[in-house]
Amino acid sequence: MKSQTGLLFALPALIVLFMLIAYPVAYTGLLSVTDAKGNFSGLDNFAAVLKPKVTVQAFINTIYWVFGSIVFQVVLGTLTAILLNQSFFGRGALRAITLIPWVVPGIVAATTWAWMFHTEFGIINYMLTGTGVLQNPIGWLTNKDTVMPVLIAINVWKLFPFVAIMVLAGLQSIPNDLYEAARVDGATFWEEVWYIMLPSVRPVITAVTLLLVIWGLNSITIIYAITRGGPANKTLITPIQIFRSAFESFQFNQAAALSVIFFAVTIVVVFIYIKVLSAQPGEAK
Amino acid sequence: MTAPAMDVSAQPKMKKPGLGWPVILIGSILVIVVCLFPFVWMGLSSIKTLKELYSVPPIWWPAVPSLDNYYKVLFESNIPRYFLNSVIISVGSTGLALILAIFASYGFARFDFKGKAFWQAFVLVGQLLPTAAIIVPLFITLRVLGLVNTYWGLILVYMIVTLPLSVWMLTSYFKAIPVELEEAAIIDGASRMGVLFRITLPLSLPGLVAVIVYAFVTTWNEFIFALCFATDSSVKTLPIGLAEFSTEFNTDWGAVMAASVVMTLPIALLFLVFQKMFVGGLTAGATKG
Repeated sequence: MKSQTGLLFALPALIVLFMLIAYPVAYTGLLSVTDAKGNFSGLDNFAAVLKPKVTVQAFINTIYWVFGSIVFQVVLGTLTAILLNQSFFGRGALRAITLIPWVVPGIVAATTWAWMFHTEFGIINYMLTGTGVLQNPIGWLTNKDTVMPVLIAINVWKLFPFVAIMVLAGLQSIPNDLYEAARVDGATFWEEVWYIMLPSVRPVITAVTLLLVIWGLNSITIIYAITRGGPANKTLITPIQIFRSAFESFQFNQAAALSVIFFAVTIVVVFIYIKVLSAQPGEAK
Repeated sequence: MTAPAMDVSAQPKMKKPGLGWPVILIGSILVIVVCLFPFVWMGLSSIKTLKELYSVPPIWWPAVPSLDNYYKVLFESNIPRYFLNSVIISVGSTGLALILAIFASYGFARFDFKGKAFWQAFVLVGQLLPTAAIIVPLFITLRVLGLVNTYWGLILVYMIVTLPLSVWMLTSYFKAIPVELEEAAIIDGASRMGVLFRITLPLSLPGLVAVIVYAFVTTWNEFIFALCFATDSSVKTLPIGLAEFSTEFNTDWGAVMAASVVMTLPIALLFLVFQKMFVGGLTAGATKG
């Protein structure tokens, strides 16, 4: 009797999510092994998408993009969290300001940064050449060596606030007696950071890092809005390749095959994420 | 180990080591500049004339602030229509997500049932799914249902982005409310629904606000689903409108910056008003549970 009631409450949400997630996932699987007319075609689609060099390049770009972003997001986010964990005047305001890049629309961040990185009229080239750091303006978004680092920098700017706020919450839940014990032993501030703060927030950092991996694998907005994968496919990551083969070349079946491969990789990360989360003591059950 | 340190009550509080004030000051200024400079530049660019925008070297302050870009955005483009579409779709999907999440979270927080752990994990997986991997079948599904280029299509699809985290946040909020309050009401003859709406919901107001802000902000900002499922200008949302301003060879940067301001203002206001509750609701699930 009681067991029915709980499920009844959850049912509407579960039905909606099932319809929007389980069904499309199954359907992607079906699309990936059929041709455009719906006939079974075995692994032809997979062979067709894996053959071109561009797929491999997109995979490498994706790894570059995800890991390049995460390293800086986690390091800068944690440093900001340690700063925000100090008590000083205006801390609340600073915390709110820190979150702003994360809250604003990704497309606004993308276009504003694209304007700032503009080769001729951009403020960044002006500041760098004006102060003598650079001799000549750089085509940040058209030069194939600088475009990916620049996009990664924008992505770091967008998401380090999220890391900061999560790590900050972790720092604030550290019991005071841990600090007091260290102070009795005469620990300096950086010793406290190293031996108390970082070990205590390690579970939070692990969880946030995995979440960032998943978001990184998902992110299309910034790259699509600024370069659409160019120049010369230098910033083409797999999600954008899927999007373009489906909605620009209308190769739905090949896009599905690529989705299945991509999905398999992501699900491994998600699986690790859930395992790590459930292994954490004191976590919501 | 010093003897006075043992006598805690008599001893004044031990000096807390921390960052020195110069480090805090420099760090704070750095964070403020990094986080806010793009918006300052966006605002300044939006009130410059074409000539001032395209000058080398760039001009910091416009000689006379000009509202031409705003005029262009508000009266000569589709942006007002897209703004309306965004409001309708964000409000609709936030409302729907809130209703579904309230019931689901209450079920998860207050009852034990078969397969509960599985269903909770299922909800969480939804949040983590690669969007790119499901846009193709979602598009086909929406086409079959006749929901491509409709408000309902996007509202429904946005459940994928908003519902999982909403359920997660609200479940931990409901769990924090003492169950005895509800039991007392039930003994007094209240129904389950009565308990939910008269006791649990009023007590979890901060959690509800967090969910509303989160859902609204996420749907307002969402780009890729809107790009795929809303191709007609009658349903296009603001992010798509903004992307339309910049074509590959010719971008009207003044108008883009003005449109960016128009698009960012509602989100910035909403966030600044509710930021405490929002952050509280968001981090509660991660650290307490």
